[in-house]
Amino acid sequence: MTLARLLSAALVCTVGALPLVSPGAEMSVPSPSLQNDGGIPIVSQADASAALVGVVLVLHAGLDRQSLRDNGLAALAAQTILRTPVKQGEGPAIPLEDAVAARGGSIRFTVDPDDVRFYVEALAGNASAVAALFQSALTAPDFSPATVRSAREALGRRIAQNQQVALQVGLDMLKAASSTQANAGLPELGTTTSLAQLVPSDVRTFYATYYRRGGALVSAAGNLDALAPGTLAALAAALPAGETSAVHVHVPPLAGTTREIVTHRDISSPWLIAQYPGPSVNSRDFGPMLVLAAFVRRTLSDIAQVPGVVSPTFASRSVGAVYDYDRAPASLLLYVNGGLIGDPSRAFATALSVVNVLAATRLQGSIEDFKAEAAGDFAGSATTLETRAWLAAVFARQSASPDFVNRGLAAIAATTPDDVQRVARTYLGNPTIALVLPRGTNLQD
Amino acid sequence: MTPVRTIAAAMLVLASSLFVAPAGAATERTTGALPRGGSYVMLADPTVASAAVGLWFRAPGAGYDNATPGLSNLAATAAAVAPLASGKSLYTLVHSAGGDLTIEVYADIVGIGAVVPASAVRRVVAAMTAAYFAPSVDDGAVRTARANAAVLGVQQRYDPDATLHDLLFKQIFAGGPARYPPLPTSVSDLTSITTPQVADFAKRAFRSANAVLTLAGNVDGSSLSAVTDGSGPGNMDAPIDSTLAPSPASATASGAIDGLGLAWVGPPIGDQKAATALDFVADYLFRDRTGLVTRSLDRAGSASLVTGQFVTLHDPGVMLVTIGGGRAKQAEQSVLDALALLAQPMDAHAFEAAREAFLYHVASDTQTPQQQADNLGWYAVEGAPDYAPGIVNGAYVQAARSLDPEYVAQIVRRYLQKPIVVDLIALTPQKGSSTP
Repeated sequence: MTLARLLSAALVCTVGALPLVSPGAEMSVPSPSLQNDGGIPIVSQADASAALVGVVLVLHAGLDRQSLRDNGLAALAAQTILRTPVKQGEGPAIPLEDAVAARGGSIRFTVDPDDVRFYVEALAGNASAVAALFQSALTAPDFSPATVRSAREALGRRIAQNQQVALQVGLDMLKAASSTQANAGLPELGTTTSLAQLVPSDVRTFYATYYRRGGALVSAAGNLDALAPGTLAALAAALPAGETSAVHVHVPPLAGTTREIVTHRDISSPWLIAQYPGPSVNSRDFGPMLVLAAFVRRTLSDIAQVPGVVSPTFASRSVGAVYDYDRAPASLLLYVNGGLIGDPSRAFATALSVVNVLAATRLQGSIEDFKAEAAGDFAGSATTLETRAWLAAVFARQSASPDFVNRGLAAIAATTPDDVQRVARTYLGNPTIALVLPRGTNLQD
Repeated sequence: MTPVRTIAAAMLVLASSLFVAPAGAATERTTGALPRGGSYVMLADPTVASAAVGLWFRAPGAGYDNATPGLSNLAATAAAVAPLASGKSLYTLVHSAGGDLTIEVYADIVGIGAVVPASAVRRVVAAMTAAYFAPSVDDGAVRTARANAAVLGVQQRYDPDATLHDLLFKQIFAGGPARYPPLPTSVSDLTSITTPQVADFAKRAFRSANAVLTLAGNVDGSSLSAVTDGSGPGNMDAPIDSTLAPSPASATASGAIDGLGLAWVGPPIGDQKAATALDFVADYLFRDRTGLVTRSLDRAGSASLVTGQFVTLHDPGVMLVTIGGGRAKQAEQSVLDALALLAQPMDAHAFEAAREAFLYHVASDTQTPQQQADNLGWYAVEGAPDYAPGIVNGAYVQAARSLDPEYVAQIVRRYLQKPIVVDLIALTPQKGSSTP
């Protein structure tokens, strides 16, 4: 079947099978509440019957607060907090992350282009105590050489693991290429080489400069009644007041004639990844891009799937599309895992062709199936406390309303074929492509 | 805990009536009888936008005579892809509603699951119960199911966990469905199964009286009124147990990949405290990233990938550890050393921390609608519905909180002594693997 016929069939087959009402339009869930406590926005999604409490703390201490020389410093500061010894009860002080685990919880962090976010989760009965542990380490990190060394080693292990994940390697390259600020495109955890250059005083200075209340946001979900009053506000309020500014490190965009980035790693099979720009959540294009991403994802999966098979297979899982809207700048990513499919180059070329056709050809037929798929993906992507707390934070920061579920579903429901067409033409132009190849192979292979 | 082996899933199409999910109801577990036979368990959470719908049955994987490996698999898939009265199959309908369909087939049970936007719950409940309570299996559906199983069977050869699971069960059990792989390794096993065999099996195994409907997420009582089919009142089949081998022996097997599996026969689900203790052991030693053995191997830069779980079954349960990725013998020794240490009571403080971590992991692993629906279904058909993890402050949590170092050590000594071992050897030597 030719690509055009395949696309046509995919579009036409939906006609005559229309839902009576757009998916998701008639359903709503309780909206998160947004309060301002002492200048700190606090987003809450309370569920008194939940077993857990999850809290996201977002601070303006991400990649764009580093200089190029400081690659990895934002991660090292966050990891130092996790490795800071804290004392509970009569026992000896142990690193925060171990203390949290021993109290029935977990803590981790993510470094974004303009933020660092901590996520701490615990059994409801232990949540106040766990939050207090986090607060004690957050407000008084241990910058001793031993703790910073421990943090550096922990990051080194994560970096080594990430380097074995071809998709992560490719995404790091694409983020670097698409970033308008050079420092915001640096690897999230730094590199082992860059981390080796950073000493405790660097971490101390970074912390003292950027761990401020200004711009902080707290988002919590779960059994919030179990928290002692004031716990959420206290997390950020304990930090010094003040706003901080990004370190501007502008670099001109890539000027080469090709938009391919190639690297080699110790992996067994190639990965091919394409990146397109995407709209932010407060754009009118947000809903249409969710629908478009659903269409691309399903089409790629159908192309790769073994004919006549209804279960997910290695082949159908070898391709995918992700609308990465919770990160700035947003993007649409297509990928092919060469280890799961016989001819990854062909699959990738087909994927790019699908996108090109979408951008150039007027859509015909109904898009209701793809709206349903987009609604399902969107609703299904927010069922853990972590994703719910984080997405509410994303929406609160980018659009002043944390009601991500109802707004997202409404945006999908309101999407028309013309919207999808417009978004395809606006965003699906020339992609940046990352190829992550096994060592000893080249493009011709 | 519930093993997860998804053997089927996703695609697209249609929609019809609509359901407005009311918000604001408190999360609570409710149980009861379905209007036309069978029972339900519901855990409502109006704070999420999606819902999980499941149908669970007691069904022998190799047929009621244990002579037809793959029969249950073909029946479960065929019922999902057969056209309903609307002309669309359950599989198609779920995907058209923006959801995913999973078909889990085990030796003794079948679990069908759909995760969909809450607005589609009633449509999916109606279609799922119609597809299974009144199955209309035809040649086309069986052909699709056969092709599906054949592809999955080939894939499974490259999955050390699933392959070793089946091989270890074959060694442990002398008779009954657990002796046979739910997904046959031979295509001829599949092609020899006829459409009438599949249809008869589906009609018997998937009758409503033999079913538990599970609902989790943004659902409420009105979801139940969408059940329009059923075979009428009746009793659920008795739990389907298998016969233990009198002297199970270790074995060597050849396959597409290298691996090493260890198994121990454990307590029945009825001994909830002992079963929970073995879940605790699996969590403490083998959980990804936090397990004692897992972290030890990570720190040593080992290439081994070790997974461990207690498979909670009606009688008996089975503790499984599988090792892939190379250097299996070294990893096996790490596993045995760790178990030997646990045969003595842990330090009280260390145990308290490990138990809190375990309780947290259980809560964390049962927070999504799909996880909740799967656990409710699994534990219901294995015979202990109130013991399902994910029920806040339920029997499982109480059993976990009752554990103490001495009891855990006693359970380790009682159940986790000499394991049954299966050494899986790749016919084609694998790069960088299996050097002791």
